[in-house]
Formats: sequence, structure tokens, C-alpha cells
Amino acid sequence: MQNIGKQSLRVIKNYTKGYSDTQTKVRDATSNDPWGPSGTQMNDLAQLSFNQQDFIEIMEMLDKRLNDKGKNWRHVWKALTVVDYLLHTGSENCILYFKENMYIIKTLKEFQYIDDNSKDEGANVRQKAKDITNLLQDDSRLREERRSRGNMQDRMAGRVPG
Amino acid sequence: YPTRPVDKDKADAELVVNIKKATSAEESAPKQKHVRKCIVYTWDYHTSMAFWTGLRVQPILSDEVQTFKALITVHKVLQEGHPNTLKEAHGQTGWLETCARTVNSDGQRGYGSLIRTYVAFILSKLRFHRLRPEFNGLFEYEEYISLKGIDDPNEGYETISDLMALQDQIDSFQRLIFSNFRHSANNECRISALVPQVKESYGIYRFITSMLRAMHRRTDDVDALTPLRERFSSQHHNLRKFYYECSNLKYLTGLINVPKLGQEPPNLLDNGNA
Repeated sequence: MQNIGKQSLRVIKNYTKGYSDTQTKVRDATSNDPWGPSGTQMNDLAQLSFNQQDFIEIMEMLDKRLNDKGKNWRHVWKALTVVDYLLHTGSENCILYFKENMYIIKTLKEFQYIDDNSKDEGANVRQKAKDITNLLQDDSRLREERRSRGNMQDRMAGRVPG
Repeated sequence: YPTRPVDKDKADAELVVNIKKATSAEESAPKQKHVRKCIVYTWDYHTSMAFWTGLRVQPILSDEVQTFKALITVHKVLQEGHPNTLKEAHGQTGWLETCARTVNSDGQRGYGSLIRTYVAFILSKLRFHRLRPEFNGLFEYEEYISLKGIDDPNEGYETISDLMALQDQIDSFQRLIFSNFRHSANNECRISALVPQVKESYGIYRFITSMLRAMHRRTDDVDALTPLRERFSSQHHNLRKFYYECSNLKYLTGLINVPKLGQEPPNLLDNGNA
């Protein structure tokens, strides 16, 4: 029930704050819901990143999420998940952008949040920040992973014989 | 201006608040979220001047805990801030020296010697970076190589000696921190000073290892390197002990992965990784 309440609140916020469709998609994919972001949501954003206007809107919203406070660790963690996906299948601009702004991710390697039950929720964020930083610093690996991801998608879409 | 969406006026106002909160009078670790904002600021605007100004206007020096937290914050910003931060820090040595002078003998809560030793270390670090501007704040080898484009062993000997001197300074500082733990209180504030020390020492260690390997590959006279090898070996054992002791501090292992070194120093004559 609590989540349903939050969801409708988010719908209202999207409307009153005048977020665009693309921004709303980022907000949904990186929400405080305990699940997701789904593959469909991320794929959608990756496709949108090829359009310049959508790209800017995505980055604006991701930047907000990545710099959110400890209590909203899910925002940060899911934003990192989306970043990882965009680096693999999004436009080249995503790579350029996150290389230039790598410090935003790199400095999350010491992210801290311990919840009321003394559970260390920051650990997931720290690990993901580490993984993405390593990927951004290893150009040949990033290229290789982008290529194999592309091949796999082509195969699944039946564009290339398996 | 950065490519990420920012607002300079807002960032300036927030920076003041972040510095204030990072150096609060509470005897705890400087909160990482506030330190992070200071680091991010230097990257956004390619300068740290506002950070230094912000430190100066805070009434930090009247309280030893605040002074110590300010030094931890400074160290982290030097390590991870924009490269201009290291350059601009050379003009701030006066303020750092004042930090060391202001606290009398051992301080009321026992931070006196810690503050003086920390300042001495930061000043040595700054001297090193002034002489060798190609190093970044965490001594990351990859970035050094990409800048230099080569691994030239000829300029190595002196650089390695200076790096080893810094490593020795870290070692005596960490011992001082451990010997200053209090049984009664939680030592979070003191322990949090170990975090940048672990990172810095490991960066230096990996750098020295790679550089010594390159030198051994290029030279015909392995004996000439014996003094460096011996010193490397003793530093390896000190570092291993330091990391072992850190790995028993639960608060610290929750923040960073403490590296684990092998029992024996790596063989410098093969081509392996650190």
C-alpha cells in the first residue's frame, strides 16, 4: 500500500513540476520502489540517448539522482545501474559525458548509508561506483563489451543468424 | 563551466555549508557526503580557491577536534580534487602551519601531536607534488603513465627515494594514530584519518612496485638497485602490518576495502602486477 501511495505521489510530482516524458522515464526507472529498474525501462532510455534533446534531459535527471542523499540510496544505486546500461548500449555521447564527469561517480566509492536496522545500504552503491569507474578507465574493455552487447541484441532481434 | 547541470551561486553557498558541517565540533568522522561536495566543487569549477577561503572563515582553529577534521578534509580534497587543487595548495602552507602552531602541547582531548604530525605530512606531500607535478593526488600509476607516455627508469631513482620517504612518514603517522586510541571513547574521529592514509600508502606502494620493476628490466646492474630493494622489502612488511591492523577496525573496513599484501614482497625481477 505504501508503495502505491508513493507511486501516485510521483505521478503528481511529475505533473506539477512539469517534467517531460523523458525525465519522467528517468524518474520512474530510478525511483525509491524496491524493485527495478527494468530492462525495458533501461532499453527505452538507451534508445532515447541517441536524440540530443532527450540525451540532455536524461543526463540532467541522472545527475540529480546520483547526487541524492543517503536516505535515498536507491536513487543513487539505480541511477548507477542506468549509467552502466547506457555505457553499454546508449549513444557515444553517454561515454563522453561520463568520462568528463567521472568524478561524480568516482567520489561515490565512499558513499555511506546505514539504515535504522543498522543495515549497510551504502555497500551496493560503493561496489557499483567502483565497477563503473574501472570500466570508464579501461577503454578497450568498454569497447569490447559494447561490441558483444550489440551482437547479442542483434541476435535476439533476429537480425543476424546466431 | 561543467557539462553537468549546475548553478554557480547555489554551489558557492552550499560549499560554505559543506565545509562548516565537515569540520563541525562533534568528535566524529568528517561526513563523507560533505567532503564529497567539496571534491566535486573543485572538479566543477577547476579551482579550489573557494574551498580554502571557506576554511579560513570558519572558526576552526579554536577547537582541536575541528582542526583535526579540517586536516582530514584537506587531505581528501588534495587526493581526489581537480589537479589544480594541488597547485593552489602551495599558497596555503601558511594556514596549515598556523593549524600546527595554534594547538598547545597535547591539547585537551589529545589531538595536539596528531595535528602537528598531520600538518608535517601534508607539507611534505605538497613539497613532493611541487617538485613532481606529473603525479596526481593519489599517486595513480595509470594516470602517470598516460601523461608521460613512457616508463623511463632513468628518472626513477630519486623519485622512488622521495616516494619512500613519504611512505615512511605515513607509517610513523599511522603508528601515532593507533597509539592515541582511547579505551573509553569510540575512536571514530581518529580512525577516519586512517582512511586517506590507507589509500595514499597503497597508491605509493603500487607506484614504487611498478617503477622498480621497470628499472630492473632496463638495467644490467641489478646490484646498484640493492639499497632500493632492501628498503622496499622493509616497507612492504611495515605496510602489511599496517593493513592487518586496519582490517581489525570494523568502522574502517565498512568504509573502504583494506588491501591485503602477501607475506613476502613481490619479486621485482618478473613482470607481474603489484
